[in-house]
Amino acid sequence: MQRTLVQEVTKGITIENPVFRLLLGLCPSLAVTTSLINGLGMGVAATFVLICSNGMLSLIRGIIPPKIRIPIYIIVIATFVSIMEMMMEVYTPALHKALGIFVPLIAVNCIIFARAEIFAGKNGVGRSMLDGLGAGLGFTLSLAILAGIREILGDGKLLGYPVMGQSYEPILLMILPAGGFFILGFLVAALKLYDLRAEAKKSVLLASNP
Amino acid sequence: MEIKVLFMIIIYSVLIQNFVLSRFLGLCPFFGCSQRISSAIGMGCAITFVMALASAITWIVYTYLLDPATSIVGFFTEGNGAPDLRFLRTISFILVIAVLVQFIEMFLQKKVPSLYRALGIFLPLMATNCAILGVAVLNVEGFTAIGIHTKLTFIQSVTQGVAGGAGFLLILILMAGLREKMELVTIPESMKGVPIACVTGGLMALAFMGFSGLSF
Amino acid sequence: MLNIAKMGLVLGAFCVAAALALGGTYEMTKDKIAIQRENVMKEALSGVLPEAKKIIDDTIDGKTYYKGYATEDATGEPIGYAIIAEGVGYSSTIRTLVGLTPEGIINKMNIIYQLETPGLGTKAVEIRYGEEDPWFQRQFLNLPGDSVAVDKDGGQIVSISGSTITARAIASSIKRETEWLKAQGVIKPGTK
Repeated sequence: MQRTLVQEVTKGITIENPVFRLLLGLCPSLAVTTSLINGLGMGVAATFVLICSNGMLSLIRGIIPPKIRIPIYIIVIATFVSIMEMMMEVYTPALHKALGIFVPLIAVNCIIFARAEIFAGKNGVGRSMLDGLGAGLGFTLSLAILAGIREILGDGKLLGYPVMGQSYEPILLMILPAGGFFILGFLVAALKLYDLRAEAKKSVLLASNP
Repeated sequence: MEIKVLFMIIIYSVLIQNFVLSRFLGLCPFFGCSQRISSAIGMGCAITFVMALASAITWIVYTYLLDPATSIVGFFTEGNGAPDLRFLRTISFILVIAVLVQFIEMFLQKKVPSLYRALGIFLPLMATNCAILGVAVLNVEGFTAIGIHTKLTFIQSVTQGVAGGAGFLLILILMAGLREKMELVTIPESMKGVPIACVTGGLMALAFMGFSGLSF
Repeated sequence: MLNIAKMGLVLGAFCVAAALALGGTYEMTKDKIAIQRENVMKEALSGVLPEAKKIIDDTIDGKTYYKGYATEDATGEPIGYAIIAEGVGYSSTIRTLVGLTPEGIINKMNIIYQLETPGLGTKAVEIRYGEEDPWFQRQFLNLPGDSVAVDKDGGQIVSISGSTITARAIASSIKRETEWLKAQGVIKPGTK
């Protein structure tokens, strides 16, 4: 069944959410999410690369010999990452410094390879770019959720503004590496619990009116 | 002095700033290859091997081709200096690593088939492992935690590669040991798999924080 | 065989295209990046030497320090000096940029790099609710740089609770660098 163009975008945010559903791109998801602004910056950077690489790879899918498609994916993706890195250094130097080595490491982000292999190699340019946009937005949203929770609990702030009041004693654990693991674990578990409940409900409904 | 620096690089890479638990590099194999101790050892060894080799080769590429201060291209421009090619860092490192992994795979398949069978399935995954590109980038960015703000030397880079891999191996084995035990425990359905692995990883990260006070 | 040659050609063509694209972007951005990098250090320096109109760097025995002048053309005696002090803290090497008067009094300071334990060592850069500057660093201002020490070592700096190592690293690195500048005859305590 052919998906509509809107569904091409939304599937990346919901059913094929890269972080919470497919468990891809976990390294940056945990490493840069100590504050919301870093999480959003990382998300936007990866989205840019996803849209460009998906579009480009879809455009050239006819002329790549299938045997050497992986090295070509690597070259194209790394090129866009380098371009994005230089842009970042010019326009957002503070963010570039805060994300550190995770900017060049976008080049080995599994989400981008997965979208190239699964989608861009088989679909048209427009659809591929929308798919990249969707996966990128899903990644950004996941990072924003993780980073928002960690910044509020661990620092009492959101985007640098105090939101929890003066008397709030931050839970330091949350901005430490350990807190990242905990929050991710519990969020994935919550999503799984939701799925299990929904499935149980469905089977009850099916059983009652076959 | 040099020995002390190397020692500090080892301690930092294995314990204090462990690649998995503190720097968040290479989480895919951490979750994916930690079900069994045997596969954890295989993956850990393969990573250590590739990290050490990749550290050495990317250091040479960076120093003698990309960095204008030491580039051999300078010999051919009749004193006009070498071009600054450092903007090619990411793409050249990732290509070098991909080629290296391919070579190791072909070499092992021909010459050491037993090792190939043991490591074989893990090797192709290596080209896009962030721990390996990560260590290559970290080598040329210096080791700020111990006060090195310039590029590491060749020996220091290889040391960081080996030590980073050893830290990785250590964490993978510990994690696999814990997960083998956990199979025998009753866990709520929703926590099974990755969630419980995340929480375990978090507890390990917390324990490893205790090393951060080590000083020399 | 022909197939392999064709694949090699395609791969080579992609490499060339990638290198051209990157080279183009680099040419467009390199001046801006250079200015950006310069600005970071310039801003940090003018932050610790606010009165200086012109700041130039100088080296003695391979060690760099900065001289701040009151005029644009850098004439006359410098009105202030700045130096980077490095101290090994709890989990990182802390770099502090210190601005000193010619008499060796700390004018301003700025921790430019640290990776200490969040919530403990990072209190060195913490700005308290409703305040403008970090409380720990404020204590150093207007003290002679070669005499700073934390209270546990008999000094006047109130240490960070739970992070004496961090506080001590900062204080002792500043003391060491000021003493070095004094030994080189750059700053002359007690001349005013």
